[in-house]
Amino acid sequence: MIGRYWAICQRDLLAAWRRKAGLYQPLVFQLLIVTLFPLGLGAGAQTLSKVAPALVWILALLGTLITLEHIFKDDFEDGSLAMYVRTDLSLPLVVLFKALGHWLMVGLPAVLFAPVVAVLLHLPESAYGVLMLSLLLATPIFSLMGAVGSALTLNLRSGGLLLSVLVMPLLAPILIFGAGAVLETSLDNSAKGHLLLLSGSLVLTLTLAPLAAAAAIKVNLE
Amino acid sequence: MNKLVKLYHTLGSPPSFYRIAGYFLTPLLLLALGLTAYGLVDGLFFAPIDYQQKDAYRIIFVHVPSAWMSMFIYAMMGIAAIMAFVWRMKVAEAVMMASAPIGAAFTVITLVTGMLWGKPMWGTYWDWDARMTSELILLFLYIGVMAMYAAFDDDPRKAARLTALVAIIGLVNLPIIHYSVEWWSSIHQKSSVKLTGSTGIKDWDMLRPLLVMAFATKFYYGYSMLHRARSYLLHTESQKQWAQAALGLDTPKKQNKEQSNG
Repeated sequence: MIGRYWAICQRDLLAAWRRKAGLYQPLVFQLLIVTLFPLGLGAGAQTLSKVAPALVWILALLGTLITLEHIFKDDFEDGSLAMYVRTDLSLPLVVLFKALGHWLMVGLPAVLFAPVVAVLLHLPESAYGVLMLSLLLATPIFSLMGAVGSALTLNLRSGGLLLSVLVMPLLAPILIFGAGAVLETSLDNSAKGHLLLLSGSLVLTLTLAPLAAAAAIKVNLE
Repeated sequence: MNKLVKLYHTLGSPPSFYRIAGYFLTPLLLLALGLTAYGLVDGLFFAPIDYQQKDAYRIIFVHVPSAWMSMFIYAMMGIAAIMAFVWRMKVAEAVMMASAPIGAAFTVITLVTGMLWGKPMWGTYWDWDARMTSELILLFLYIGVMAMYAAFDDDPRKAARLTALVAIIGLVNLPIIHYSVEWWSSIHQKSSVKLTGSTGIKDWDMLRPLLVMAFATKFYYGYSMLHRARSYLLHTESQKQWAQAALGLDTPKKQNKEQSNG
């Protein structure tokens, strides 16, 4: 039963692997912006390491954000989304696996890439573990909330900006918990509370976001 | 039929909602204007001076009622959105879309008066404290709702359903945003002057104008929302007979008849 959903996810991964650009472009985008910060802020290690917890997090968020629009858009345009709705597949589960595909393509690379960004920004070394753990908990939330935003805007020619307006405010708490966890660790405090809140947010999003996205897809295909 | 069910169906049909809401407009506007006038005069001239903030505190009579309304209207909009999404009620869609700009306006008023108040009290227009930040995010949520609707100009029903979904998602997230921002600001340094101390306002002469203004803004919301909802229904139902009749236009059918007669 799960095999059919996994096939959707696999197809997305294969398409992304063959095209390649979708895989490295978000990371290049992150690198480009990372370069801008020392140029604007001054290259002093002290200044940078102070803002590093927030910056690494915001960059991961922005790098993901630019890719969200396409979670459903391509499938909508070539008609395969309409097909998923018409088959006996459960639409929320399709959404879940589409989000999983997006996470494997964009979220996981962003988690693995975060230490590179962190090195460039002089993040205190003690915070690396928590940084990756917090991003590991949060990037699936980005993908799931992005799936909702993409489902809402899939009908629009330039939905990218609208998607950001819709999704960004909802991700503010995630940024607070995630960047907070890294900040607390870099100050030698315990990040347990922040990480638990992140896990809670992940569970909540994992439960509700597929339903919301499925509802939006149904309205859009009516 | 059960009276409540009957009321639901009566108010749920655009023509009767249009008619019934029409009766409420003038009384609501008069109440809003009268109470605002009384509240402002009472608050600005007769309420006692605050011992610490002197006359500057008087902006509270605009600021606090607006802040209450910014949240109250989001809740109203969210409830209307749930009704619109679940039961596909046109009137609920109208109420939802009518509420959004009013709520956004109250949010802007709250932010602007807060900034004006912050300058003499805190020495700065803006401070990233919890309330200001969550009010700003609330404004973004309102903007998202309005932008979602504006993006679909060709199909208002579909736009309204998607917008309802956006509003519901916002409603679910609002408490999370609120508390996360509150916890976040607790690790930052506290502002040196507490806006409303733990004691709160105890003086009835200060409290009275505040409550009057709170009612005035509620009535204004009622007036403005009904007015906007009526226009929204007229706009989306402009091809229906009742809307044409309400606008004083001859229905197309009648015109055809006249033409055939002539």
